[in-house]
Amino acid sequence: MIASQLDPTVIKSGDNVIIRMPSTNAKIVTLSPTKSVSLGKFGSFNASELIGKTFGHTYEIEKGGSIVPHTIAGFDSADITEANNKEIVDNPKSQKLTFQEIEQLKTMSLSGDVSAQEIIASLTENNESFDKKTEFSKSKYILRKQRKFMKSFVPLETSVYNLCNYFFEFNPGKIRGIRTDTLSQVLSLANVYSNARILAVDDGQGIIIGALLSRMAAGGQVLGVHDGDVSNYDVIRYMNFTPDTRDRLLTLPWSKLYHNVEPFTEQLAEGASADDKSGRERRLRGHSKLSDTLDNIRRGEFDALVISTNYNPKSVIERLVPYLGGSRMLVVYDQSKDALLETFAWLRQSPDFLNVQLTESWLREYQVLPSRTHPMMNTSGGGGFILSAIHLAPVDKPATSSS
Amino acid sequence: NMLTATVKTGGVLNNKYGSFRHNDMIGLKYGSMVKSHDGKGFVYLLHPTPALWTQVVPHRTQILYLPDISFISMYLDLKPGKVVIESGTGSGSFSHSLARTIAPTGHLYTFEYHELRVETAKKEFIEHNLTDIVTIEHRDVLANGFGKVGIADAVFLDLPAPWDAVAAAKEALRRDTIGRVCSFSPCIEQVQRTALALDEHGFADIRMYECLVKDYEVRTLPMPDIEEAINGQKVNFKLNKNDRKKRKLESGANTPTGENGSSSEVMLSKPTDQARGHTSYLTFAILAPEVKN
Repeated sequence: MIASQLDPTVIKSGDNVIIRMPSTNAKIVTLSPTKSVSLGKFGSFNASELIGKTFGHTYEIEKGGSIVPHTIAGFDSADITEANNKEIVDNPKSQKLTFQEIEQLKTMSLSGDVSAQEIIASLTENNESFDKKTEFSKSKYILRKQRKFMKSFVPLETSVYNLCNYFFEFNPGKIRGIRTDTLSQVLSLANVYSNARILAVDDGQGIIIGALLSRMAAGGQVLGVHDGDVSNYDVIRYMNFTPDTRDRLLTLPWSKLYHNVEPFTEQLAEGASADDKSGRERRLRGHSKLSDTLDNIRRGEFDALVISTNYNPKSVIERLVPYLGGSRMLVVYDQSKDALLETFAWLRQSPDFLNVQLTESWLREYQVLPSRTHPMMNTSGGGGFILSAIHLAPVDKPATSSS
Repeated sequence: NMLTATVKTGGVLNNKYGSFRHNDMIGLKYGSMVKSHDGKGFVYLLHPTPALWTQVVPHRTQILYLPDISFISMYLDLKPGKVVIESGTGSGSFSHSLARTIAPTGHLYTFEYHELRVETAKKEFIEHNLTDIVTIEHRDVLANGFGKVGIADAVFLDLPAPWDAVAAAKEALRRDTIGRVCSFSPCIEQVQRTALALDEHGFADIRMYECLVKDYEVRTLPMPDIEEAINGQKVNFKLNKNDRKKRKLESGANTPTGENGSSSEVMLSKPTDQARGHTSYLTFAILAPEVKN
């Protein structure tokens, strides 16, 4: 019987984690063992407290920056009773504690002298209309106060799902608006498997590149073609990849796509300094890397071509499809359908592609609570579009050369 | 229009497009077109993938399709090396995608209580060379559990009464790191009972989603200035069959120009008339590892 061989996910020094706070705000932090992590009004804790822990727990911040784990709360026991809101009037005078008294409680909470539970108990005791509320309303009230006062947080692993969710919520422009369900479909359509070779263009700062890498093991490879001299796959640095995984990523600037590699001829002059030597070594390494990457891409026969680009998608496909194998997938993502229309029409008419499809995914979360099950009141308006096609084997096509 | 075939020397494939000799296929690259014996019809030879298999698998039960397969796989953080438990196997649609995602070092234990379905799925796993990654067992998991303790990274339940399998799922999940569970149910009542059972057994972060994909079609149609109508010109807004055929055969063409002149044509997209309204609700939960003090 095979048990999972994967190591348990343990937080290591220098790892990035997503911290989700009770206010539903979140931030990504890098855990340096000597530093503390500040969560603003929720307090600070020593990063070293999280190192060595696993995920799956909520932590409460205590005095002095230490943290205590709790299991994440389950369902409350609220249910339907006789109570209703017939006589409840929205009145700021309902709360008997004064503004100053509440502020003092807040300060005492921050210094750890009073717990969030005590504050919430004070608030509910001093609220005239609290007892009249329905069970569900009381539950909602307490949850709102918890969000405001509890000094607890949930650390989340920077998995593809969590990171995509995080950026989609807080900085969708960074990842060109791709939502988790759409991203997951890109992976399926491209048939990403452990030792696939995938050619990719990702102007979404590496969210797709990172997702591809996370589904690979030994033998897998992602070759990212990017504009500029240096790739901008910022998202990848949050994923705590091992050097092995990072080595599976090769990058190539668009400007070098048709580069003719000349032999490396730089010589060291007489009496060269250590700086000169290391400079030459660096340039030699760069030359070798570029040469290897060009050899790799020119071998062609990639298992998938995955594109999320700010450039005209048709122009990108035309340049890269010669490197895509037969009976292999072309998957193009864009935040907007209009950007894909011309390309769709072109692919449909082309004898080189089959099964051309343009799809949009819709995702809705539900609240599941006893007697309170319903879809969430808010949902995302859109998560992007996917244009996909099966690439057919070229029939005696001449090799593409630079224009 | 897709079907599976096993290519054998001397074999023949007969369908409505003609008669195709297997010998003509051998040696060709995947993605090649093969003409029928009389040259009138053709087929394309495609390399099998889990996504294609999901489209052609003979249905013994309702199957999972790409949107749910994809979202569940990502939510459960599946990747090479993960150990997954699936119950029931059904028609093996999801099983094939799971195997691909967790290969080569992971493993899928899949359980099915219907004996004939077990035999059929087993045959397919053998034919598709998946037996290193997939172990199928004929078992009634509601009565007898999974028979596994602490080995799985994730458990997937596709059962009429998944709340009765929650205890077994808890036992099968590893306890040294987060364990993840997903239950796939078409009815909201099933979701509610499952969520309660998950909560009672100590699972946390219980969430439920539905995911649906819409298909778009794109056409180029005339959209002339109203001036033409004022001038009494007759505009044909519908592409007749011949125009459509002509456009299909034109290869490498850019934005197609139309009979009414390129300036008055627009590329328009709209969703297809029929769309999926519901597959199932996806309920997820995590099992926190035991806290060491």
